[in-house]
Amino acid sequence: MIDALFNQPDYLAAKKALDAVALRQEAIASNIANLETPGYKRLDLAASFNTELQRACAARDPQQIAALKPAVEVDPNAVAVSPDGNTVSLEDELLKMNQNSLANTLETQLISMDLSRLRTAITGNIS
Amino acid sequence: MIDILSGVQSTAAALDAERTRLDVISENIANADTTHGPDGKPYQRQVVLFESALQQAMNGRNIPTLRVAGIEKDPRPSEMAYEPGNPDADAHGMVAMPNVNIQEEMADMISASRTFDANLAVVKNARDMAMQILSIGKH
Repeated sequence: MIDALFNQPDYLAAKKALDAVALRQEAIASNIANLETPGYKRLDLAASFNTELQRACAARDPQQIAALKPAVEVDPNAVAVSPDGNTVSLEDELLKMNQNSLANTLETQLISMDLSRLRTAITGNIS
Repeated sequence: MIDILSGVQSTAAALDAERTRLDVISENIANADTTHGPDGKPYQRQVVLFESALQQAMNGRNIPTLRVAGIEKDPRPSEMAYEPGNPDADAHGMVAMPNVNIQEEMADMISASRTFDANLAVVKNARDMAMQILSIGKH
């Protein structure tokens, strides 16, 4: 019965998006670590994740959202910036890292808001 | 132990590797004028080779980290300089100088130190993100 409280599509979607943010941070950290490794190909979150999350959110189906699994893959659109075939550009990665950090703030606040709404509904106190 | 700082393993490996690179650069600069090493030959410039290595993260995924593949000698030939007073000079007064180019080393050093900084920025970012996540539910 308590599970139902945490099975709302919004809350689940924010949690999934936060998982994706953590995974993306991992990918960006690898990319920056391998800035000067010959032949390294940059990694990023699989592009299909966002579209699937949107579709699942539109359907408002908790099971469909919970079944999503964010994954990391080699970025197919990246072009080599140096003659050794390395596709990492430092400026790009730092920009993406900042975007990711903002996404992290957004998702954590969404989750906090969901939890505080639940608390308000349970206690009746507006804190 | 949980993996609370995402991606910190690859960053730590990279910081370590860049440090090795800076160490080697400082060795090269320190020995830019060494005409007589332990083997009796002029100092040969050293180069650090990087490679990407898969490391298993705590959550079971394989993430590519950075590893020093080896430290090798630069095969470029030594330059000859005319220094008849040098005990290492040959019959014509020519001395074989190390194949170290200071300008090249300085450029390399700046590049290594920039990469080091970029990796530090990643750690700081991961830390900020972890702090936000830890404060979920506080009001």
